[in-house]
Amino acid sequence: MEKDGVVIGLECHIQLNTESKLFCGCPTAAEEPNSSCCPICLGHPGSKPVLNAKALDYALKVALALNCEVNKEFFFSRKTYFYPDMSKNFQISQYEIPVGLKGHLVLSTGKKIGITRVHLEEDPAALVHEAGMGASNFSLVDYNRSGIPLVEVVTDPDFASPEEAQDFLDQLTTILSYLKVYSPLTGTLKADCNVSVYGNSRVEVKNVTGKKAVGKALEFEVARQKRLLLDEREIVRETRSFDEKTMTTRSTRGKETEADYGYIFEPDLTAIQLSSGEIEEMKAKMPELHAAKSKRFMKEFSLDEYTANVLARNFNLGLLFEEISKSVDAKAAAKFLTRELMAVVNRSELDLDSLDLDSGEIGLLLEMLLSGKITEKVAKDAVVAYLAKGVKPTRFVEGRGLSKDLGEKEIEKAVEKVLSENKKAVADLKMGNEKSLNFLVGQVMRLTKAKAEPRAVQKIIAEKIRK
Amino acid sequence: MFDATVIEKARAEGAIIIGKTSQDAFGFGTFSTNVGLGFEIPKNPHDIKRACGGSSGGSAGFAALTKQTHASIGQSTGGSIACPASFCGVAGITPTYGRVSRFGLIDYANSLDKIGSIGKTVGDAALLLEVISGHDANDSTSLKQEKEEFSKLVPEKLKIGIVKELFENCDAHVKKECLKAVDSLGMKTEEISLPLNSKYGISAYYLISTAEASTNLARYCGMRYGLHEKLEGSFDEYFSKVRSNGFGEEAKRRILLGTFARMAGFRDAYYLRAMKARTALIKEFKKAFSRVDVLANPTMPLVAPTFEAIFKLSPLQQYAMDLCTVPANLAGMPHASIPVGKHENMPVGLMLTADHMGEGKMVQASLAVEALK
Ligand SMILES: [Zn+2]
Repeated sequence: MEKDGVVIGLECHIQLNTESKLFCGCPTAAEEPNSSCCPICLGHPGSKPVLNAKALDYALKVALALNCEVNKEFFFSRKTYFYPDMSKNFQISQYEIPVGLKGHLVLSTGKKIGITRVHLEEDPAALVHEAGMGASNFSLVDYNRSGIPLVEVVTDPDFASPEEAQDFLDQLTTILSYLKVYSPLTGTLKADCNVSVYGNSRVEVKNVTGKKAVGKALEFEVARQKRLLLDEREIVRETRSFDEKTMTTRSTRGKETEADYGYIFEPDLTAIQLSSGEIEEMKAKMPELHAAKSKRFMKEFSLDEYTANVLARNFNLGLLFEEISKSVDAKAAAKFLTRELMAVVNRSELDLDSLDLDSGEIGLLLEMLLSGKITEKVAKDAVVAYLAKGVKPTRFVEGRGLSKDLGEKEIEKAVEKVLSENKKAVADLKMGNEKSLNFLVGQVMRLTKAKAEPRAVQKIIAEKIRK
Repeated sequence: MFDATVIEKARAEGAIIIGKTSQDAFGFGTFSTNVGLGFEIPKNPHDIKRACGGSSGGSAGFAALTKQTHASIGQSTGGSIACPASFCGVAGITPTYGRVSRFGLIDYANSLDKIGSIGKTVGDAALLLEVISGHDANDSTSLKQEKEEFSKLVPEKLKIGIVKELFENCDAHVKKECLKAVDSLGMKTEEISLPLNSKYGISAYYLISTAEASTNLARYCGMRYGLHEKLEGSFDEYFSKVRSNGFGEEAKRRILLGTFARMAGFRDAYYLRAMKARTALIKEFKKAFSRVDVLANPTMPLVAPTFEAIFKLSPLQQYAMDLCTVPANLAGMPHASIPVGKHENMPVGLMLTADHMGEGKMVQASLAVEALK
């Protein structure tokens, strides 16, 4: 037990981003309520489920990425309970032998969190209370969600603080994004949070939606339980729910015994069999995950740990960095992305995963900055305009006449003209008169209407004089 | 709305669907006396005071009654094709589990449900089976298979196993008719003992089938399926009201039994143990099929009983009627019931069982039995 006596375990349910549902061909994305359903996801008598091979592949990837043991044979089970969001009143899930068992994930502090299991299951339909849960005297059911694949990741009770749980969720969603099995914007993440303090009764906060909410729910729950102990009151073993408006948890049904779902093997599906060769092949095909990528960045580009972590933590940012560093100095690119770009992202509370960033555009912008064609201020403004309004940096720079890029040949022409018209200054310069250089540069700038880059002009003049 | 795969396949071959027949609701019964609300109990064409058998009683009864060329579709979980075929004096074929797609079938117990055929002759039933067989991507448990022309088969000499235990608890006349038929075939025979199947078959079958059925029936709660009643109370109260009013006594009995068998604390002792027993029972069958081609036993321990007698039976006595048909059904083995004689002027059925995917041998043996007449 940790010094604060806090023990937390999480059961995370994450929507996988397959195109079709887990057991039917209905699209997972739909605009109108109840527009993406069929006899299978509506549970029509006579309909039969057919497993979406992609969803299985995704779940296997998650299990392997979380260092789980993958069984050569596993199967689905029926979890039966009555609830209006379940068309069949049973959920096809996994029980005895899930996709993966006994894995782990390493937190950014280096602490290892045990993964009890990873399994695949179908999402129930969504209940919609138009006037809010309390005020509605009826519920609407949207079956678009019914049958969307969920991967459930259950951790061992290894977290000693809400911060550790939060870190875990960050790492987990990063891994899922890396595996391309989860879309943070459209896919929901829900967690059931088990919390106990100083070995007292365990309380479960069910169905907390979103990473931030999980952190808040845990903070509140830990504080609430500790306060109860200070007041010498009993912590009741119960199920609680989290209210996002008040950021508090409240008891749902008082004392509760373990729910009994009467699991049976899903008799409409056959067991899934994998050879050890297939499992090994999947392992070999696993993409590089963020921890490994961060280490590689440090080694390959001589980045410091913090910068490498920031870049690797977000899949798209890491990708952007690697693309840009092909043409621009890697350290400068890393600095620009982690400072300038991330500053805008954080300040405007943007989601990096929702931004479609063109590495070519950002690369050009960075090149212009590094070569002195634009000022830092202009580069920053260009990033803001790009991220917030989608104005391409090259357009932004041109549109404002800020580009000083005349092209080397045109600068050369102007330089030649100025040199031929100012023989005396040229002679003085050859004698080592620095003022003459400034004069000549000034003349070129005037001639080019300040569209040439002064440092480039200086360089060309120096070359011409030396000849 | 959609058609079951078997209906699509039959229609594609030019079949004309003339209607649906009465049966035990959800397949729960041995006499077609548990018909659902608004349905009539089918009467045996040989004697209307007697039952057709079940659960596909209407299918067999109509095949026996009609003068037209006809074949019926039936569904067997524990013997629901063989039993009514035996009682009505027609040929009934239950295929290997997975040979015929279940897509569109209203589930009783998914790991046991098999759609099969019933005809006036073995040839008619074999033809319909040939048409409805085949792998179906819509049913994950359907088997990949070669197309087999069952309707073109002719009687063959095979080695017949006489299942010792399944003759023991039968009516003496039924036993005599069945043994007489096997003897008359003039084929090699051997006595086969299936002690595990006869001892544990019924128990394992009822535990597994009701456990699965209790989950299948959960959807008929008034939310999307089942009756619709006045909306009152919490959803739990509403669902309970709909289910209490909608399900018949037998359905309720099986839901209770099946739910009990899979609940924590009982699951290991009942549901899981029954699943393990099933594996052992299949092994016992496989061993028998290493010695003989086809197993023979009476389909039912008696001829079709009168409704008066049926209503005096306890549920347990009713379940015991399935003693002979349950083992092959639990093991997913193909089997047929062929009329072989009469007792009390009512038909007696002989059941012939073959190994998994052994429908060919089963049809050949059935044709030989039919040719005895
Ligand atoms: Zn669907």
